[in-house]
Amino acid sequence: MRDMSKIVKITALVVLAPLITFGLYIIAHGHLTPGGGFQGGVIIASCFALLFIAFGKQSKHMLNKELLSVAESLALFGFVFLALLGLRKSFLNNFLANSGAMFGASVPFGTKEAYINTAGTIPLMNILIGLEVSCALTIIMLLMLNEKVSKHAGK
Amino acid sequence: MKAAKIIFVIIFAYFLIACALLLRPFGSPTETTMDEYFIKNAQIETASNNVVASIVFDYRGLDTLGEATVLFAAVSGVILLFRGGVPK
Amino acid sequence: MLHIITLIAILASALLAIEAKDLLVSVVMLAAMSFLLSLEFFLLQAPDVAITEAAVGGCLTTAIFVLAIKKTRRLEDESS
Repeated sequence: MRDMSKIVKITALVVLAPLITFGLYIIAHGHLTPGGGFQGGVIIASCFALLFIAFGKQSKHMLNKELLSVAESLALFGFVFLALLGLRKSFLNNFLANSGAMFGASVPFGTKEAYINTAGTIPLMNILIGLEVSCALTIIMLLMLNEKVSKHAGK
Repeated sequence: MKAAKIIFVIIFAYFLIACALLLRPFGSPTETTMDEYFIKNAQIETASNNVVASIVFDYRGLDTLGEATVLFAAVSGVILLFRGGVPK
Repeated sequence: MLHIITLIAILASALLAIEAKDLLVSVVMLAAMSFLLSLEFFLLQAPDVAITEAAVGGCLTTAIFVLAIKKTRRLEDESS
């Protein structure tokens, strides 16, 4: 596996920050515009794929495998916990909507201006799903790029 | 053997063309009670301007939970396969 | 009219992806087919599906294919 040239590496580092910002924008505005947690998470994961393509073997020490694994598990646990919090009425009940608390402003019917402080638990679930998807796809690519197949596999 | 392949392709093409001719025109589904309920009530009940997001994360939240669980199972399988074998 | 042009371009890029001799050219043609497919979803008024198709099919699958192809070697390099 040959190394990429310096031009590719510098260009990848320059493009990385705007792309991650775009993915975070897609996640944060999931309840107002098309997009959401899954799409934004995939965009962030493809930013890290660009990093892995440009840097090859050197990217082994850039990201911590254990930290990504813990973050993914915590995001999925948080999703289930948030779903269980609405159990007073039903599972996955949107208990924050129209309540006046965080993300609790109500929305009139029809096409009006959109405010980010609406929609109850939907933005929180978008953030958690985005964290889970980006960490999962990044850890799959990191392992497939750097690690050898286990000696005991297939026995 | 070749005749069987050609007959299979003709039958497959017949069913594809029949399905394409039986499609309803764009934008006029048969059963619309569910759609009308979502269009009328989703914006007020979940206070979300994007009705697709309110369906994915609220009304059909179990589907999203299943998708996240599938990704978690895939990551568990990959970690199990690449769990640090001795490089030759 | 735009529908028909997009569908013909999807078919043409898919055929080019099959017929290409170089694996990298094939992967790039597959990415082009994916982006045209997302344009078609956008024309059919499904922007959510279009964003998903562009992100998964256009970016992530291409990146994983390129990562896999980087681990192989070309035939010309092996003979020299």
